[in-house]
Amino acid sequence: MVFLTLSCWIRSRGPDRYWKVQEVLKHARHFRGRKNRCYSLAVLAVRRAFVYATKARKLKKRNMRTLWISRIAAATREHGMKYPALMHNLTKSSVQLNRRVISDLAVTEPRSFLSLAKLARARQQEGFRAALGDGKEPSGVLSRVVMLQ
Amino acid sequence: MSSFSRSAQQWATFARSWFLIDARMQPPGKIATMCSIRLQGKHKPIYHALSDCGDHVVVINSKHIAFSGNKWEQKVYSSHTGYPGGFKQVTAAQLHHKDPKAIVRLAVYGMLPRNLHRRTMMQRLHIFSEDELPYDIQANLTEELPQPREIPKKLSEYTQEEIDAFPRLWTPPEDYKMK
Repeated sequence: MVFLTLSCWIRSRGPDRYWKVQEVLKHARHFRGRKNRCYSLAVLAVRRAFVYATKARKLKKRNMRTLWISRIAAATREHGMKYPALMHNLTKSSVQLNRRVISDLAVTEPRSFLSLAKLARARQQEGFRAALGDGKEPSGVLSRVVMLQ
Repeated sequence: MSSFSRSAQQWATFARSWFLIDARMQPPGKIATMCSIRLQGKHKPIYHALSDCGDHVVVINSKHIAFSGNKWEQKVYSSHTGYPGGFKQVTAAQLHHKDPKAIVRLAVYGMLPRNLHRRTMMQRLHIFSEDELPYDIQANLTEELPQPREIPKKLSEYTQEEIDAFPRLWTPPEDYKMK
């Protein structure tokens, strides 16, 4: 026999297994089935969840933008305009508000949003007059706003 | 509205309204788009797919729907009973005769998003073939939506003065035989 005493016979194979396992299981506690308890199943599920989370960071930006656009479109239709007309005329009037801010205004500040819609409609009418009119009338107030670089 | 308390403002924002649409002499597709937008809640600036913000829509006079073109004879609704040899194809006219509500219902069903909310949204759509509404639905209605299509007047609906006032395009010679 090589190991002659009990203290030499017992091997310590690493004291921190419990904590290393808990590090993984804590991310799996809200999963369904045995994946939330059993380490071998949880490791695969947690890895997949992290991969989905990484990929979703790009998707979140896209989804939030489509949500803002549909909210702005709904609010503009309440005022008798359409979303493309609103955004195009706002950029032509050099209003550099992004879609996030405009959708928040549409939800929480309805009167400010109404004023934006009226501004866009005025710029739209000026555009129609410039296109369909003679050219002898002076260009409108909003059309003369210079687009700053 | 700014004088509401927070809970009252929340209740007023998320309350479910009941819309009324008269489908007399209207194209069923246009009626269906209006219905699907309001059933999903996409007409509200607070829209979110998960927040269950859709409203109820009541469609009346679905029996008097008006397809444009030759769709009554050419548009085909297909279905399969599940049994062999059970492929059924009916024209729009035949389907409308069998069930006057089916055309509007199928049109709205096809325009809703293909997820599990679709069935709930269809339960919030109420279609009636004629004008009469049950009293409890009539009591709930909040708004009537304008019709998408302007109904053209028939010649018999014009007054004689309007017909006379219309400018003559050409005067026929005396020996011209009108049909």
